[in-house]
Amino acid sequence: MVTHGSSGLPAADLLSRHADLLSRQLFGWDAAVRRNWECGRETVSTGFRPLDRLLPAGGARRGSLIEWLAADDASGAVALACAVACRLAGSRTTGDEPVSSAATILVVDRGGRFHPPAVLPWLEQAGSGTGSGRGRPRLVVARPSTFEDELWAIDQALRCPGVAAVLAWPGRVHPTAMRRWQLAARTGGAVGLLVRGLLVRDASGHGLGGHGLGGGRRSESRCEPVHARATHDGPMHVEPTWAEARVAVQPLTPAAAAGEPSTGPSVRRLRLSLVGGPWAGDAMLHERADELFLDMSNGREALGRRRTATVPDAARLREWGREGLECRAS
Amino acid sequence: MPRILTIWLPRWPVQRRLLERPELRRVPVFVCRRERRGVMKLVSWAWAAPPRSPRRGGLPAGNVAMAGRIHASRIHEGMSLAEGMAVLASVYGSRACQVAEVDHDDPLADRAALEELARSCRRFAPIVAVEQPLPGETSRPECLHVDVTGTADFFGGEGPLVRTAVWTLAVRGIHARAAIADTPAAAWAAAHHTDSIPGDPVPAAQSSRGASRRRWAIVPPGGQLRLLGSLPAAALGLGSDVLTQLEGVGVGTIGGIARLPRKSLASRFDPQLSRRLALFTGERAEPLVVPCSAELPTATHAFELPLSLRDTTADDLAAILDRLVEACLGPLAAAGKGVTALQVRLDRSQAIGLGEPSAPMVIDVGLFQPTSCVKHVVELVQLRMARLRLPPEIAAITVDVVSAGQADCRQRTLFGGPAEASAMQVTMLLDRLSGRLGRRAVFEPLPLADAQPEHAWAAVPPLQATRRKTAAVPASLSVRRRGGPRRHDEGFPAIVAAPQRRPIWMLPQPVRLESVVVAAAAETGPAEQPTAVVRPPAGFRLEGRMHEVVKAHGPERIETAWWRGPTVRRDYYVVETSDGGRYWIFRRLGGSRRAGERDDAWFLHGMFS
Repeated sequence: MVTHGSSGLPAADLLSRHADLLSRQLFGWDAAVRRNWECGRETVSTGFRPLDRLLPAGGARRGSLIEWLAADDASGAVALACAVACRLAGSRTTGDEPVSSAATILVVDRGGRFHPPAVLPWLEQAGSGTGSGRGRPRLVVARPSTFEDELWAIDQALRCPGVAAVLAWPGRVHPTAMRRWQLAARTGGAVGLLVRGLLVRDASGHGLGGHGLGGGRRSESRCEPVHARATHDGPMHVEPTWAEARVAVQPLTPAAAAGEPSTGPSVRRLRLSLVGGPWAGDAMLHERADELFLDMSNGREALGRRRTATVPDAARLREWGREGLECRAS
Repeated sequence: MPRILTIWLPRWPVQRRLLERPELRRVPVFVCRRERRGVMKLVSWAWAAPPRSPRRGGLPAGNVAMAGRIHASRIHEGMSLAEGMAVLASVYGSRACQVAEVDHDDPLADRAALEELARSCRRFAPIVAVEQPLPGETSRPECLHVDVTGTADFFGGEGPLVRTAVWTLAVRGIHARAAIADTPAAAWAAAHHTDSIPGDPVPAAQSSRGASRRRWAIVPPGGQLRLLGSLPAAALGLGSDVLTQLEGVGVGTIGGIARLPRKSLASRFDPQLSRRLALFTGERAEPLVVPCSAELPTATHAFELPLSLRDTTADDLAAILDRLVEACLGPLAAAGKGVTALQVRLDRSQAIGLGEPSAPMVIDVGLFQPTSCVKHVVELVQLRMARLRLPPEIAAITVDVVSAGQADCRQRTLFGGPAEASAMQVTMLLDRLSGRLGRRAVFEPLPLADAQPEHAWAAVPPLQATRRKTAAVPASLSVRRRGGPRRHDEGFPAIVAAPQRRPIWMLPQPVRLESVVVAAAAETGPAEQPTAVVRPPAGFRLEGRMHEVVKAHGPERIETAWWRGPTVRRDYYVVETSDGGRYWIFRRLGGSRRAGERDDAWFLHGMFS
């Protein structure tokens, strides 16, 4: 019998043991790579505690996409996405070395309706509030004229390491394009903030008229096959997503806030629901929801407001988080 | 015998502004110079797209087009702004004066833009010069002189060349007239009077108004005195004093001046006359002064056999471009410079049997910041080539640097700083975006101190907004509208300090709201009282859906812009609807200044998306 000199084990067993060890190392590396992909990237607080609690990573992970589903054109989703973009552009890590020196926000506005004066003061405060000394983040607007140019512009912007956030309202897109954006964001490190109508969640498209999100050019958009699942409201068509999270934004009406402190014109009360993410299939059974107050004067969370959150209990949250981590294999 | 192509760019100061701000084509533009005691003197003016219909207070419709041309010629350089406005109002009505854009003169910027255009005209011939005023003259250059001696055959002759030159500029939105003659002075005269040259063999171009206007002319070799002799003496570029002298002796044409005894010209008239006549006839050579930066590098790769682009892979073409671009950028980089604009010329192969040779295909590439990165420039060229229909066969590729600037040179760190790398990446991204989407489709918003929401910001090219904030703008060169506010360069205007009252999405044009449910009469007050407090509507219909207003904030009255047109008088409200939506609506209070006039129309202007 052939034995190994030092260990005294048979050669075949030794080979098998080495092979096992190597395979374990390989799996370990693979898992490490996956963790680096998904968890190793910097996570930045969005500046809104309720939103941070909703997002799987506890904030916006650089190099990822976040979808915002807006009920209609006046729901406040774009404002919230802009506020998060300003926060991302003006943020820096607490360590010695600034992980991201990106201070550029790129807005892809095919419809030509973005009104920068509403956001520019937010940028000023985002640059001064962080104390990073890098000045005000830069806001660049790109206005593509065609749907193809819009897809290309978003892809290019996400791929650029110098861009902190890409803000766009692309309407309905092919899942392949979304996957491409996800990979582009991973490459560049930007956060893609895609504001879309509830059309992607509900094929009936209630509440979206000619001015609907996506530039009102749905005829040019490419409608894609969607997965179907049944809810208590009837059949609901859900478009798959490659985003880190899909957050539905619903403005709370003054009537709903009756008996609570008046918000006034400078504060917007929004209800956020986590309605999707990179889970396998349609395993999302429980939607999580929370509320936040957006101060429209500075793009930050309005503190001191009474919040009535409808957050699931801790056990369900932990279970959900475990499921999400396991299923996030994109 | 040399042949000179002169390209005249009428009213270049205005044209330059129209190129930078195309929206000004709809309004009359006056470029003025402030003189003693604040008097504004006209340097140039134009109205690219005047109205075809009569304006209130103006002439009837049938007479506007013809009378506009006649009266507009009465607005000339040196006239005061008030006089020019008066002439304008007599033709188009007082509203034309209200919407007019008045800008300060900026001769340095005009000259720089003209030089850049000269470099881009090297597609016609290698020597391109900007018109130089003679010693003692203060005229403003508006012409380019191109030495086309021996190069016209590449375009199929002088006729196709001059036609190509005019239309190439027209595609870029530049109005030009051109002429070819033996001397720059003769070509200058012919270009300024293309309508008056008899026997022009080139077919006349139809102007946009249907009138026949020649935009080009060709003076045969040695025929300037014969063909241009009937032109007025002003076609020699003479000053007003000399013209008055000539008028006093009854000489009004170039031919008349040429018939005068030469020896007595210098003694009897200003020396300028004999000098200009000698330049016109060619007795005295006029050197073409090429702009200093014309020594920018150029690289050409000529193929021994025509290269079929169908059989050539993108990598092969990229390798050739890479070599050519590197040859151009290398000397610039050594001098600490970078390219900001370049041309790639693809010379088509002249197939056997085809009679008329083809002009080269020219691809223009522009950058926002000077760069010496070869890979980036090649990528931009390929991006442009991917969207063009290239010729099937090419004989040569030429890379020509049109403009260059001082590159931002910093000492590199050992491993490269993340901030520097990010900034460079962003600049390259902006170049790519503008290369595909268009130069004007990528911009940075610059806030303006204007109360009217439509004019509260301006789109400026990227990287310029930051420069405008940091660089001090000389007072004489700053842009200011007549009667309007000055552009803010430091910090944010106060009007933007209340962003909660400005929507993130604003409609390009306010949409009139239908089926507006007015509030109770007791709250509204008597309608016949113009001073009654206006209440927001209780509901409105938008796109077939009724919105119930449950809360409203306002009003915010905006009454401004009298200098742009009808006075804007609006009462804005931020209304919240029953479904939580937040809209920005306004009630128009009437655009005229007549007291008591009211307009009850409600408009949607934006959404707090």
